[in-house]
Amino acid sequence: MLDPLTNGLGRYMDLLSARQKLVASNIANADTPGYKTQDIDFQFEFMSLVKGQTPQAIHPDGMIEKPDGNDVSMDREARLLAENAIRFNLASTLIRGQFKSIRDAIEEGKSS
Amino acid sequence: MSLFSSLQVSASGMAAQRTRAELLVENMANAETTRTPEGGPYRRKDAVFLSDIQSSPFSAVFQNEMGQGVRVAEVVQDDRPPELRYMPGHPDADANGYVAFPRMNPAEEMVDLLNASRSYEGNVAAISAVKDMINHSIDIMR
Repeated sequence: MLDPLTNGLGRYMDLLSARQKLVASNIANADTPGYKTQDIDFQFEFMSLVKGQTPQAIHPDGMIEKPDGNDVSMDREARLLAENAIRFNLASTLIRGQFKSIRDAIEEGKSS
Repeated sequence: MSLFSSLQVSASGMAAQRTRAELLVENMANAETTRTPEGGPYRRKDAVFLSDIQSSPFSAVFQNEMGQGVRVAEVVQDDRPPELRYMPGHPDADANGYVAFPRMNPAEEMVDLLNASRSYEGNVAAISAVKDMINHSIDIMR
């Protein structure tokens, strides 16, 4: 009962933390000459890869390069930073709910 | 694994921006300095950033780490010729009465400083978002 959904959520949270690290790296390198924005293809990684495998970093399309060769967009990174945190919190709340329903089942069984 | 290394990446960004801000403040403090240990007027300094892999050697063996921090690769000096002002009474005046002052534009320094401060804030925001995520994953165990 627990496995399929929590495994999916675990994978989802793994990918979100990997993506959040890339966002942190893009923000840290916002002033580094020649640095290129990094991201992961979320959909692709989620559907195709087995759990535990490191996702591949890609360079997103349509970024505008500044004269120093850096193409980090602070607006994009700020959006992703917030979005990843919210998605992660949602997933962790769902997992807690799963655990809670199992714990409830155990508790209710005891009291009868 | 990944979340704690994100903190390290953001911390490297904060350290780099702080170094840059220190140099900018040093430049402004020395806007009128005509005498330095190397001789001649003060020359403004700037930091050059370089992206850098942030991971402990131990974990790097097991996984190809993605995501890079940043560090100050070098501090460069501005080699623009000094600004000459006619001040015959000044102790550092040359034979013609001109004193060499650092060529510095306060507006330029202020804009850079603002930029450094904003980038620093960006890194702080990233740290607090990641910290929130770590706390939420700890909450699963409660």
